[in-house]
Amino acid sequence: MTQNSSSVPAPGESAAAPAPAKLRLANVTKTFENAGQNVEALKPINLEIREGEYVVLFGPSGCGKSTLLNLIAGFEEPTSGEITLEGRRVTRPGHDRLMMFQEHALFPWLKVIDNVVYGLGWRPGYRFRPRLRRQKARELLKLMHLEEFARSPIHELSGGMKQRAALARALAPDPKVLLIDEPFPALDALVRARLYSELQDILVRTRKTIVSVTHDPREAACLGDRVIVFTGRPGSIKTEIKVDLPRPRDINDPQVAGYAGKIAALLEEGQRETIPGEKV
Amino acid sequence: MKPSPEKKFRLYVFGFYLLLFVIWQALFSLRIIPDYLFPSPLQVGWRLWELGNDGMLWPSIKATLARMAIGFSIAAGIGLVIGMPMGMSRVVNSCLKSLFLGLQTLPSAAWVPISLLIFGLSDSGIYFVVIMSSVAAVAIATSDGILHIPPIYLRAARTLGTPGYAMPFRVILPAALPRIVTGVKLGWTLGWHGAVSAELIKSSIGLGYLLYMGRELNDAAQVLGIMVLTILFGLLLDRFLFGQIEHRIRRRWGLLTPA
Repeated sequence: MTQNSSSVPAPGESAAAPAPAKLRLANVTKTFENAGQNVEALKPINLEIREGEYVVLFGPSGCGKSTLLNLIAGFEEPTSGEITLEGRRVTRPGHDRLMMFQEHALFPWLKVIDNVVYGLGWRPGYRFRPRLRRQKARELLKLMHLEEFARSPIHELSGGMKQRAALARALAPDPKVLLIDEPFPALDALVRARLYSELQDILVRTRKTIVSVTHDPREAACLGDRVIVFTGRPGSIKTEIKVDLPRPRDINDPQVAGYAGKIAALLEEGQRETIPGEKV
Repeated sequence: MKPSPEKKFRLYVFGFYLLLFVIWQALFSLRIIPDYLFPSPLQVGWRLWELGNDGMLWPSIKATLARMAIGFSIAAGIGLVIGMPMGMSRVVNSCLKSLFLGLQTLPSAAWVPISLLIFGLSDSGIYFVVIMSSVAAVAIATSDGILHIPPIYLRAARTLGTPGYAMPFRVILPAALPRIVTGVKLGWTLGWHGAVSAELIKSSIGLGYLLYMGRELNDAAQVLGIMVLTILFGLLLDRFLFGQIEHRIRRRWGLLTPA
């Protein structure tokens, strides 16, 4: 599947499902120009993500995993290589590859429901049908247990409620791929655990294709079908781990913890490799 | 959060103004300055009462407020229209920013002579002064507001599929609103200066006109009374109209931490 997996064979690779690749990254690299110097952020990345798959990009901070997410979202263009979604080349941001940010990024000038409605306004099927938009938004708010707060201003919601509203907003235009940049970092452990289970619940119901980024091995093991482990700067795929556990998974489940340990060990290995390299 | 400390402050504020009046009255009683030049607070209050009974006061207040309402609405509109491209294009911004900063340093009253030349003694000259006094503040605040929009809102808007033509009014303007409102508040104050300054010279009604008439008639009580009234209305609108709007917007945008 990935060219980089030559050194470490990915477990469960042979049992790959025959489903066609939805999102394909072919030899994607990214080099930033910083004060006249070229800084390589990503070495060639090859990755295929299938329909309905939850893929977690996992690695140390600064390994380029967030950059890769930005490339998929279309906020930035790859220096070389190509990203295609269902065979069509990604060139700019759009709701077919909708991104959820670390902060909720809800619009404070809109009420909760209007935030959810917002993204639907640009969808062909919903464009001139405000009632259909509201109906869809209400369904999603119900799914997120936010229906009583539909008409509330954003600042009246708690942190967890804001993230759920952001998730509802992200799901509303029915993106082909949902991109999540460090889901729910600013929340306390209890709220996060609940959001993880809700996210998986939605996952099971909607069969959404999701790519998320994290540096928390537990989160990676809890959410991902596949965890792509990155090495440090410049980022490249070190290996991938298939998490073969039934859903919904509990973040405190010992099996999840077992996978998390495995993933964390891989990360440490990678760091030991990069530290001497950085001194050069 | 208990209301008691705020109430206590209110008491202090009340006490402070009481003290101010007592000092004023005491200065008057000492007769350092002759009383026809420096009236007592009671005389001032009485003169205002008389003016009110003569039917002079209320129409004047209304006239000045109406001029402000119309003139400032136009100014705010122009300021927004100029400020938006300033905020969205670096080129436009670098061209216009120094010009508007310069205009902002010009005292409002400095617009009166040119307005007399262009418009004569007509009312449109007052609108001209109001608009010229306040438009720069609104334009600068709008462009600054746009330049300081948290990038996350723009990124969210783009990933949600907002087409380029919809960005200015659906995202950029609302996201910049907190700073725009602050600029509108400042613009209103500057416009208020302009309105009263212009009325001093070229009007037959309005607060500025009453000030001017007070001087013509050597009526220090009227002059001081209208000054106090002008301050009062300026403060009321600033604090309770624009201040409230600003506070509510800042709270909604999560820019206030609820104490």
